[in-house]
Amino acid sequence: MKNKLALLALSAQKINRQHVQLVFVLVSLAMLVLGTGAPADGGGVGH
Amino acid sequence: MILLLALTAGLLAGLVWAYWRGHPYQAPELGHLWLVFVAFLPQFVVIYLPITRGTFPEWLVVGCLLASQILLLGFAWLNRRIPGMSILICGIVLNLAVMASNSGFMPISPQTASRLVTEERLLDIQTGSRIGAKDILLHPEQTRLEWLADRFLPPVWSPYQVAFSLGDVLIAFGAFWLLAKPESSIQLKKRGIPL
Repeated sequence: MKNKLALLALSAQKINRQHVQLVFVLVSLAMLVLGTGAPADGGGVGH
Repeated sequence: MILLLALTAGLLAGLVWAYWRGHPYQAPELGHLWLVFVAFLPQFVVIYLPITRGTFPEWLVVGCLLASQILLLGFAWLNRRIPGMSILICGIVLNLAVMASNSGFMPISPQTASRLVTEERLLDIQTGSRIGAKDILLHPEQTRLEWLADRFLPPVWSPYQVAFSLGDVLIAFGAFWLLAKPESSIQLKKRGIPL
């Protein structure tokens, strides 16, 4: 168990702060463009 | 879908550009990120979430959609100094203007919609009814600011058919620019990176 926790901590340390920031920015931008854009494609129109 | 493709293309272009310049990719430094999550939530519930979509009255959907877009415009305005955001803001304003002028939804003409759905299905949809996630079926003569509506289409031979507005084009271009070149020339100079 201790080993697993240590491994988890080590993996977490490897995650760069900038990578986390990039993920947040990408998710935010995806929400921004989906929220403000209004294209209609065949799949969406069928609903 | 096309907007997410623009984001992906922008990210790839940014990564290639950063690699070519020999420095790590720097994501755009967006502030007030919490506002996007708060702004998108009502729209997500009334438009996108399958279990709740279609369960709300029309007035509430319109209210949530417009409120959500105004808040997202606020977020974009707060980050207006980031390269690409001004183009994106123009797109948001254009889409918001045409939607607010047409019952809160993006108008699409029957002629344009006929490229997206079969004729039989189109005959079942009455003029003035919702079609798709955010669109409303309206004849061009009934549409206010028709030139800002979903009126552009890819070539007929394209396997992916989508109708989009001028605002969508600007939003896609702005999003691409944001990720492809997230730092202005001044910021790059400050970091000592040659242009």
